[in-house]
Amino acid sequence: MIERRDAPHPSHLAPPIGRVVATEQKPATPHQFHFWTANQTTIGIGAIVRVEEPGSGNGETGKVVWGVVTDGFAYSDLATPLHDVVGAEGDPAKAAESPTVRQEIRLWTAAVLRQTPEEPLQPVPLGQVHVASDVDVAQALRMDAYLGGAEPTAIPVGLYTSGGLEAPVYVDADFLLGPEAAHLNISGVSGLATKTSAVEFLLTSIFQHFPPHKGRVGAVCFNVKGPDLCFLDRPGTLQDEDRRRYERLGVEPEPFRRVRYYAPFKADGVNLNTLRTHPDLVGDVEPLVWGLREVLDYAEVLLNRDDIDAKADAFIDFLADRVVDKEFEDGFGGVHRVVTFADLERLFRSIFDGLELASRGGDSWRTHHIATMRKVRNRLANISTRCKGLVTDDGPSNDLPWGRFDDRTVYVVDVANVDPLGQDLVFARVVSQLRERLERRDLGVDAVVVFVDELNKYAPADGPETYVKKMLLDISERGRYLGLVLFGAEQFRSQVHRRVVGNAGTVVFGRMDADELATPGYQVLSPATKIKLATLPIGELMVRHPHFTQPIFVRFPRPAVLRGRDGVERYPPAADLPFEDAVARQLVKLDRRVRPNQVKDLIADRREEDVRRALAHTRQTRPQDALAHFKKQLGGRVAAAPAAARESVAPLNQISDEPY
Amino acid sequence: MTVSGSWVDAVVAAGAVPASHVPEASLGRNDVEEFTGADPVEAGELRVHPLDDARPLALGAVSFLDGIEQWRVVGYGGITPIVRAHAAAAIRRRGPDRRLRTVAEAAEEVAITRLDRLPAGVRRALEAADVRVLDFPAEDAGQPARALAAARLEVQKARAALERRLAEQRLRALAADEWLVVDGVLSDSAALSEHPRALGVVKSHGAQYFEGAELERALTLPDAHRTGVFRPKVRGAGRDIYSWYVRLWPWEGNDLLYGLLRLEARAHPDTLGLAAPIAAWIRAQRAPIATPDRRWDRLLYPIHDVETYLRARAPSDLTSQPASRIPHPGSRLPRAAS
Repeated sequence: MIERRDAPHPSHLAPPIGRVVATEQKPATPHQFHFWTANQTTIGIGAIVRVEEPGSGNGETGKVVWGVVTDGFAYSDLATPLHDVVGAEGDPAKAAESPTVRQEIRLWTAAVLRQTPEEPLQPVPLGQVHVASDVDVAQALRMDAYLGGAEPTAIPVGLYTSGGLEAPVYVDADFLLGPEAAHLNISGVSGLATKTSAVEFLLTSIFQHFPPHKGRVGAVCFNVKGPDLCFLDRPGTLQDEDRRRYERLGVEPEPFRRVRYYAPFKADGVNLNTLRTHPDLVGDVEPLVWGLREVLDYAEVLLNRDDIDAKADAFIDFLADRVVDKEFEDGFGGVHRVVTFADLERLFRSIFDGLELASRGGDSWRTHHIATMRKVRNRLANISTRCKGLVTDDGPSNDLPWGRFDDRTVYVVDVANVDPLGQDLVFARVVSQLRERLERRDLGVDAVVVFVDELNKYAPADGPETYVKKMLLDISERGRYLGLVLFGAEQFRSQVHRRVVGNAGTVVFGRMDADELATPGYQVLSPATKIKLATLPIGELMVRHPHFTQPIFVRFPRPAVLRGRDGVERYPPAADLPFEDAVARQLVKLDRRVRPNQVKDLIADRREEDVRRALAHTRQTRPQDALAHFKKQLGGRVAAAPAAARESVAPLNQISDEPY
Repeated sequence: MTVSGSWVDAVVAAGAVPASHVPEASLGRNDVEEFTGADPVEAGELRVHPLDDARPLALGAVSFLDGIEQWRVVGYGGITPIVRAHAAAAIRRRGPDRRLRTVAEAAEEVAITRLDRLPAGVRRALEAADVRVLDFPAEDAGQPARALAAARLEVQKARAALERRLAEQRLRALAADEWLVVDGVLSDSAALSEHPRALGVVKSHGAQYFEGAELERALTLPDAHRTGVFRPKVRGAGRDIYSWYVRLWPWEGNDLLYGLLRLEARAHPDTLGLAAPIAAWIRAQRAPIATPDRRWDRLLYPIHDVETYLRARAPSDLTSQPASRIPHPGSRLPRAAS
């Protein structure tokens, strides 16, 4: 709902603040005009103004034009700077003391936002210029099309502020979250917390204003650095000004009501690899653990450009289709059921041993060359080593609740401390799952916002065509039809693939680096707008949206959630627990009746991988009696068997040149 | 071979002051060219006084008055020109914030011709029009050159009358510490010439008040100096007034009248005591410089500002246009805006 804050009368009754002027050198056009104001004026870069053409006098009103100020000029009647020097006799102090102040002008350039009537499109009339009111802002930005009606789709994004006027600015959900347009890209220098704050506020706004007729909405946020997104469910500190802005925007200043945290384990397989490990909070964090099946489906992520060849692809497909989760005979008399990395490793070993033991040492197995198999084995082993904690060698996986996503819920996937390869894998798998589920409409929500920071890392403007980049391009270009919406953030927009940023229907800019603003992507902005962008205070943004013909500056309140930095201070991460304590704590979390000492006694002298496997199974099953289930999975204590003598194996022939 | 500038160097070497361009504005108004004479008031003869120690007059607000005239021939009745003229005057007041704001203005459009020389139809049309018609003298109605000169004089009179009217109105509203600075002479108006806080600033020097050594003293006045106060001899309808010269900028290297102003104030003993402070105050008005006006060496910026203001508000079709003067085929008269 649009309402005035402090306007004493409608803008058309308020005295004008300027007048449109046009000269041969600076004419008014259908897209741009110039106007002057008094020297003391509230107008500034980014201000929205309204131009009224005088009526014809027969009751008809004239054309009305709304524009946004993009540049400003001030000059005096001084012919040349030399004359000022002469007048002051070379003394700057005297210049300031001159008895008369020179005539000055404040001349502004404005870009047209809208004209009514819209046809015929004509140059801006030389009329009076007024400061825009709330209603003017709504009309100028074409928000009237989606603010009202039976099914409004307006999402508050911030407050337009100029000259004492403060007007809410809304974006259209159909153009932010699809299907008309979608995606949001936000750029800005690091360290001001603007990008993350803006996305947090916008997600709050979306969750509170997402139109009911559009269904259910959720968000998946990848926490890729520090504790940025680790405390979304905790209230932050707000100033009175923030609360006032929330009220003005019609958004409740509260943290997210439903947040689910997912983080992989550390290498020990029992301590979570996240900064949200404070005892009061860690109970909310679900482990993110993937096994062979989850990784194999996205094995392409693991292969770099040099690796990608038809042979490796074929072998991976073979493993996925014929081997994993099936009874499989290796051709050397062994039968395998490959479920885990450990199973797969056993299979590989069996095959290689079999080939070597076979007469004259063949170099192919089931049409796959041994070098190809070794390469794939190497890559898969590599991921299980580098991402230990995320990828489990054995035991069941633990994943996001696919098919059971809740409405207005944020799913935070904390991969801040995960190896870059693992981050790619997580990103690829989660987004692919989202896409597949949304296509099948069985995700649990109708639209998902995927927030990815450091987009320049995942979809760089140059560099190799990685699987992740291809996937981001796919989301950018086709996600809007599915309800898969990318909210990407980066420091330098110019370093992000242009098809990714180009497909973002809504573009937000925080404070920008001057060098970045000098790149070709910002040529459409006036020098004054660039200066404003380079000096933008925290809490102010420039927004481009399909309904706005020009970028608009808005202010937004700081998010009502605990900032990552503050969260770490208030909830300091706990130190890593010893293996036994960590296992006990996880079982206690599953079943409060469990006594830690019982657990410790139970797992004493047991192999850690067995404990981890039993724990994972218990976590996945969530039985009534967690300890009993855990004990059963752990099995009886078995005396350690003496190590069997390794059978000697003859060296392989003809593969001495394979690099793996 | 003789160098072209050698004889100039020779005369300069002999004591002549070097000079260069003589701007058109230095020629002065052509309506007052005769010798009128003056009586020194401060001393028995015209003397030169330095302003080094003079403290500028401390003024509160100051109002500046100036006027403009614009005209063009819009038609001929037979060979008699019909002139459309616009005269305007304004007063802009400078307050404590050092900014100028308009406090009074007046404008008038007039037609200037010789009605009895116009064809009857044209005359009737002109008489019926909603415009004041001024007749120039019958003896000037023959040759177009004289007619136009006469018309120009009528325009100047109209402008002067507007200025006078506005100035006299302003005098009545002048605050106790406020001065009125007029571009031109005060002696055309009794009220102005008698007012204690009215100052005339004359930048054209067609009138000659001295001869011989006194004239040379006046016209070679050094920078930051003033002459003694003198009383111009009354001529015509002029009023008794005190006057003195002040030099704003060094004239050496330019011309004799460069930066030379003549000030007018009421003929009163108090004026003698104010001559130096007023001269110092005027000199302080050099900044800001009134460029790009070519007369900037003598034109006070506030006066220039008033003129700019008036020109900005004048009818745009009366301003000179650098238009082609190719014939208008088939037309009798160029179209004129009403």
